[in-house]
Amino acid sequence: MSIKIKIILFVLIFIWVAGIFVEFIIPYFNGLSYAYTFINRLYATVCHQQFHKLIEFNGHHSLVCSRCSGIYIGGFLSSFILLFIPTLKIRNGKFILLAALPMLTDVLLYSFGFYSYSKIIALITGVLFGSVGIVYIYYGLQILLEKNAK
Amino acid sequence: MQNKKFISPLVVGFAAGILSIVPVIKSLGCCLLIPVAAFLSLMLDQKANKNFSKLEIKKGVIFGLVTGLTAAFFGTFFDFLITLITQTNDLVYAFPQLLETINQFPVDEATKQEVLALLGGVIEDIKTNGFSLLYTLSLLANNLFSNSVFGILGGIIGVQILNSRNQQK
Repeated sequence: MSIKIKIILFVLIFIWVAGIFVEFIIPYFNGLSYAYTFINRLYATVCHQQFHKLIEFNGHHSLVCSRCSGIYIGGFLSSFILLFIPTLKIRNGKFILLAALPMLTDVLLYSFGFYSYSKIIALITGVLFGSVGIVYIYYGLQILLEKNAK
Repeated sequence: MQNKKFISPLVVGFAAGILSIVPVIKSLGCCLLIPVAAFLSLMLDQKANKNFSKLEIKKGVIFGLVTGLTAAFFGTFFDFLITLITQTNDLVYAFPQLLETINQFPVDEATKQEVLALLGGVIEDIKTNGFSLLYTLSLLANNLFSNSVFGILGGIIGVQILNSRNQQK
């Protein structure tokens, strides 16, 4: 995959991640307040947005839960690292399942009441899954683009 | 045979569309509901055709897109229907919180009032008629965008998981 496409993907992921924290950005870009409700509803289609699960800082809240925030932040971090990796080679599809395991375990354990919801655990397990998931997406796109180029 | 090509993404997309408005499922599935649906549509297609040969990423993209679009249409339709009947929805429930958040924005009063008037109009329409054109159109646009993207991503990852699994068999 060319560096140009990687930069485009990186920017798109950055915009998506920045959108999660739009409440934190509005004080600096007032015009965004017009779009706030629309942006909020956009993220509502991909997350339950339960208030007690949102990341809170300085009175502002993220637009998605800690787990989703973690997934997107993980994806963003990996997409930055992937800018410096010319070609990917993944031979096993199980890594993503392994990366999802802590997240799924956390969902099950707190859902069945073994412990109460922890934003930090949700965030960390989300980051792990997101950072691995994006590698598979990049690899898939790499194969797709190589085939189209032939 | 050609007509049956997209049966699995259509069926799974329909199911995902319904599940996306069921509160508990929505909470558990969160942003993974549509990607998982795209993966399931690929898996069902393989099982239905008993063809476990290597899948192409292109197929994952197409199946993911069809799953996402189907889920978006049905999700929006059922949301519209439930809103029409009950004259309430997630936006109405979230309104007090949105109001509080918007009031906390450090922006000028005129901007705040414009935003609140726009949002208040939508809420009023839903409460009195069970329908708001602006809400329905924005929901459809949001669902089409996010479900398509997440469906495609799920399809791309799904192909790799299935290929890896089938290779080992």
